[in-house]
This record gives sequence, structure tokens and C-alpha cells, in this order.
Amino acid sequence: MREVRTTGEHPPWEGLDGTERHAACIVAARAGNRQAMDVLVAELTPLVWHVARGNGLDRSTAEDVVQTVWLALLKNVDRLKEPRALVGWLVVTARREAQRTWPSQKTELPLAPEVADQLKSETGLPEDAALNDDRDHRLWRAFGRLNARCQELLRLTVLAGRSEYRAVAEALAMPRGSIGPTRGRCLTVLRGFLEQEGGSR
Amino acid sequence: MNDIDPRDDRRGNEDTAVLTALAHLVDELDPPPTDLVQRVQFAIDLEDIDVEVARWVRAGSLTGVRGGQPGTITFTVDNLTLMVNFTATGERNRIDGWLVPAGEHTVEVRVSEHASATTTADDGGRFVLADVPTGTTQIVVHLVNARGERGRTVVTPTIVL
Repeated sequence: MREVRTTGEHPPWEGLDGTERHAACIVAARAGNRQAMDVLVAELTPLVWHVARGNGLDRSTAEDVVQTVWLALLKNVDRLKEPRALVGWLVVTARREAQRTWPSQKTELPLAPEVADQLKSETGLPEDAALNDDRDHRLWRAFGRLNARCQELLRLTVLAGRSEYRAVAEALAMPRGSIGPTRGRCLTVLRGFLEQEGGSR
Repeated sequence: MNDIDPRDDRRGNEDTAVLTALAHLVDELDPPPTDLVQRVQFAIDLEDIDVEVARWVRAGSLTGVRGGQPGTITFTVDNLTLMVNFTATGERNRIDGWLVPAGEHTVEVRVSEHASATTTADDGGRFVLADVPTGTTQIVVHLVNARGERGRTVVTPTIVL
């Protein structure tokens, strides 16, 4: 196990949250504070995970993508122009890394956004057998039928709605208290699928 | 919770209910694996941070080969290919590897909570580490060029053996 290195009693990110906290961690990481990077990994791995999963990756591949994204940040930590923009950088990098695996080695051509929109989640979602509630079951199946763009967006919406992910809402311009036109369209499609799955009672 | 204002649009109440249910499902059914944060923290705890990341090439038949089963795993980055075969020998692993293009590259196998094992590939790019502990494992390759000069460092994501 690594020894925890602290600079004095209080790490520079202590007491900060959201974007300010991430920026303080990046600045500390650049100065060689390894604990700062661990804090970012602990707090933002769910974000990277849901971008990877929302882009149609199975759980095993999503795990690799999460690791690749953090290794890429390690390499680029000095080159990140704006430490406050970390969340945006992670989302873009995770999305690009996920899309790189889409062709599943069949072709090296990247998918156009229009194709991406049509991409059904072939890998499927985790076992839903554990769901007792029939409505939950139908909702999960309906969600799995959404295109990758909507799945990612709705996963990020769910994260951004939580206070500890305030930075996600800020970075992705998802003001809390508003759904916005794109999310509105995704939710409309989701409601349609939900009705096909057997009503929305 | 998603405190989305139901007055946001006319389907607001319904959307809020769907998002709330979805939030619960995403948490319940699809959270990151519990050890993923720890594995990432291990993967980035490197001496040299200027590394290239080799990606796991998952042929269809290999999908799902994780967690202790012997098998060959292929990683690639740029023009480098690393193939590794793991054979379990009780609590330990024998690792047979092959690097293309070949060269007398230094290969370091890092296992969480153990000392690293290091060897050098032969001029055919092959290397063997006969007795490696099991656990969260990462392979670090320090490449040398044809004149034996040190070049890039390539790392794999961690795998659990």
C-alpha cells in the first residue's frame, strides 16, 4: 500500500467542493502530490464509468476504459490547460475512448454521430432478474433500448442531479431544476418505449 | 435526488418520476465495480508518469476471461503488441509473454501489495516470469530501440488474476 503523503495537516482541497475542489487537486497533483490524484479517482470514477457504460460498453470493457482515461490524465496532468475544466476533459476522453472500442476490432473507422444515434446497446444492461418491481423491470428494459447518446445523457443527468456531482452539472451545462430540450426528447423516447414494454402504470 | 422542477414543462411531473426511478436503477444495477477505484489508484501509482497505455484486445472468445482462469491476453498500442499467457500454479502465476516488435525490452510485472518482478525479453521478444503472486496485476514495458537505448514506457490496465 502506498504511504499517504500529506503536505502539512490540511490538503489544499480540504473544505472545497465541486469544480474548486477538482482544480485544487489538479494543481496539487502537478506539484507531485499523489494523494490529490487518488482523491480525484475516488470521487470521479463513477462519472467516467457511466460515460463508458452509456456509450454501449459492456462492464469489462468499461473497466478498461476507466483505467485508460485515468492513465491518460496522469500523462496529461501538466498539459491540461484549465484545471477547472477537469470534468469536461474526463467526459470527452471517456467518450472518445469508448467510441474507439465500438467497431470491436472489425473496422478501424470511427462511427459518425448519426450512426452512433442508431447504435443499440447490444451489450445489454446488467441482469435485471433481481428486480422485483415490474415497473422497474420495464423501465430498465426501455432504457436499454435508447440510443447511446440518450443513455449517456440520462446517466449524466442522474449524476448531475446529486449535490456531490455539482461539478458535472456545471461542466455539462445541466442546470439543476431544468430538463432542457435534448433531455426532454430522450425522456419522450424513453416514455414511448416504456409504454411498449407494457404501459406506464 | 434529481430536484428537477416539475413546472419545467408540461410533462415535468412524469419526467421527474421517470428520472427518479432511473436514478435508483442506475445505482442499484449498474454501479462501478466496488474494487475499481482501488485498481485505478494502483494502476496510476507509477514512477514514470509519461506512459503509453496499451489497450486490451478482446477477441470474442476471450470476452469474459477474467479472474484467475488461465488464458492469453493481447494488448496493443501504436505498433506494439504484447501477448501474455498466465498459468496458475497454486497461489502463484507463471507468465509467458511475447513482445512484437522484438527487442531486449525490460518487463516489469507489478502486483498490488507485492514487490514487482522484473525481467528482460530475449532478442525474439519473449520473456518468462515463472513465479508471480496473484492479485491485481499490471505490466510495465520499458522499450529499448535497436541500439539498446531506452525509449517509451508502455503500461497495461490492471487485470485481476
